[in-house]
Amino acid sequence: MSDLLFRNVRIASEEAAVTESQDVLIQEGVIQRIGQNLVAPEGVKVVEGAGRLLMPAMFDTHVHFREPGGEHKETIQSGSEAAINGGITGVVMMPNTTPAIDSGAVVKQVLAKAKEVSRIPVLTSGCITKGREGKELAAMSGMRDQGVVMITDDGDAVPESSTLLRAMQYAENFDCFFASHCEVEDLAGPRAMNEGAMSYKLGIQGSPAIAEEICLDRDIRIAHAAGAHVHIQHVSSALGMETIRWWKTMGAKVTAEVSPHHLLFCDEDIGDYDTHYKMNPPLRTKKDNELLLQGFKEGVFDILATDHAPHAEFEKQQDFVNAPNGITGLETALISMYHYFVKEEKLTWQDLVLRYSAEPRRMMRLAPVPISEGARVDLLLFNEEGETTFTKDYMKSLSSNTPFLDKTLTGSIDMVVLGDRVLLERNI
Amino acid sequence: MSVARKDLLDIESLSREDIDSILEQASPFKELFTRSVKKVPALKGKSVLMLFYEPSTRTLSSFEVAAKRLSADVTNFDVPHSSVVKGESIQDTIATLQAMRTDYIVVRHQMPGLPAMLSRMTQASVINAGDGAHAHPTQALLDAFTLKEVFPDQVNKRVLIVGDVLHSRVARSTSTLFKKLGVEVAFLGPGSLVPEYCAPEIPRFTSYEDAMKWKPDVVYLLRVQMERQKAQFFPSLREYHQLFGITSERLKQLSDAGVYIMHPGPVNRGVELCHEVMEYERSLINQQVENGIAARMAALYYLKPQTGTLT
Repeated sequence: MSDLLFRNVRIASEEAAVTESQDVLIQEGVIQRIGQNLVAPEGVKVVEGAGRLLMPAMFDTHVHFREPGGEHKETIQSGSEAAINGGITGVVMMPNTTPAIDSGAVVKQVLAKAKEVSRIPVLTSGCITKGREGKELAAMSGMRDQGVVMITDDGDAVPESSTLLRAMQYAENFDCFFASHCEVEDLAGPRAMNEGAMSYKLGIQGSPAIAEEICLDRDIRIAHAAGAHVHIQHVSSALGMETIRWWKTMGAKVTAEVSPHHLLFCDEDIGDYDTHYKMNPPLRTKKDNELLLQGFKEGVFDILATDHAPHAEFEKQQDFVNAPNGITGLETALISMYHYFVKEEKLTWQDLVLRYSAEPRRMMRLAPVPISEGARVDLLLFNEEGETTFTKDYMKSLSSNTPFLDKTLTGSIDMVVLGDRVLLERNI
Repeated sequence: MSVARKDLLDIESLSREDIDSILEQASPFKELFTRSVKKVPALKGKSVLMLFYEPSTRTLSSFEVAAKRLSADVTNFDVPHSSVVKGESIQDTIATLQAMRTDYIVVRHQMPGLPAMLSRMTQASVINAGDGAHAHPTQALLDAFTLKEVFPDQVNKRVLIVGDVLHSRVARSTSTLFKKLGVEVAFLGPGSLVPEYCAPEIPRFTSYEDAMKWKPDVVYLLRVQMERQKAQFFPSLREYHQLFGITSERLKQLSDAGVYIMHPGPVNRGVELCHEVMEYERSLINQQVENGIAARMAALYYLKPQTGTLT
């Protein structure tokens, strides 16, 4: 049992600025009281907040846990522990496993495994097409019955427009939505990096932003025609973002996500062929970073999501073109967003709680988890004065393919509590 | 004092001092070629390994002759050319190479950045003999050496590089080196092969006539890879020749203006240039081939392998 009294913590929420220091009493998995000078009842452990922040735990709608088929990179267990380490208490897995999550049977299998090994809720998406091959429709109804929350061929776009249109029409009355990885395949080429001055300099065939922009416009048009809700995944191009903004004004049922790496890094960071900056969609330009951040602030992006994509060291150590796409993100997302944006006053805690905790849960039809009296406990304690060094030892993911490897950032996640369980505790 | 340089991977990383030293050393090496004994004992007892993952006759032989004229022992490491060789297997290859205790590795590979990766895993000096579209530093050095022979003070001379800039490691390395030497460089070619994003700091022309108004001293023609036509970068070789090739008519104009012609070879006659160019008095193409050996000798001689200090 974890009955706790947090003394002198400031509270972050989606509605308002961070509060002054207060005390928060939690008992039996419920937030009982918030106020000044609360007295700890017997058996309640006191946590000295000392000005640290208490906030709703985060929720990530875009993770690759590689199970089944890629367990040397990540498992559902290691991935969910990485999530907890990053202050995240709920995730949605992508279906590009081996075999792909494309039938009720596989959905049932991975969710059963998650229930067995994970200390946080793990949800899953399922494929649009069988084996993610872009040809035949996957058994969407069967997957829906097993609890799939999102339908996507993430990793690839559905190449044929007619296939995507039929899928969206077919699933009209299903209680789930579509998500699109957007890329026109023939324009995207070998998908190693953004096309531009940097790809020229490195002598690598670039993948132009129009490959993404054309496809996201197509997918929203198709969804709009079919009356479906489409969620655009990991937008990397500012012009793509403007397309989404325009479609929202047209009343299309479209939502979108941006990843921390597309806000933080650009193609120049690849430098001397550093594969820790290789992902798909690729890092675009510095200008895109600025405009995407602006759009994030303005709410064009409904949510923040990492696209946590673990790969083993030997895989990432290949030459740049052959190395696989993707970086991990669960353990670095919140701290890096704080270090680069909140601390620098480019974003606020309110932005982060809204876009990385409340909205992702609403999108998955879950209730947000505010720090308010009577609410169930699902929170984290964050130290703005702390420091985190992302060593292999620190990270719980089986993989360490992140640009932050061995780097130190300001901020630390000191506690994660879900219901009546303390999932993580450090510096307490 | 110059810092001992282990590898030659690209032009960007070379200091002006590196460049000047290599170019200065190329002259005495070239003088050797006119003697009856063309060898010097500079690298006697050292071993040079040729690691070519892409078929090449010209560059491979040029390096081989250069190494032998320095009295080095030369080995050709037999590697498969056809399949794409991945980084994983290169790491296995390195283990083998380490055991051979070679002092210099001359590597050509289709993957950009691979020679740099290799250089981090070995004490041997690594010379990049071409990595995909990324770099071909010894080509750039031989081009600069050739240019300096014609124009001892090359500063502000104008070189127009024509053709498939997008896919050319020669265009990248040579333009970078020329610019470091104070030479003005411009690109000419169709927009599909000279896209605007390539090099914002280099003037770019898409019409031959406009490019000529820029008054180049040298026209440097890049080899047209036949597969580009199949990938629809231009409609036909005939049209390419008409728009960007040195036709007989254009050759006369270049001759009147006293313009020199360079080409990294091998030449596609009737595509980049007409047959008569081979006889043109200001063609530097054969000189480039000869200078290739001298420049590569100078590069090998300049680099300092760390194999002696192997622990």
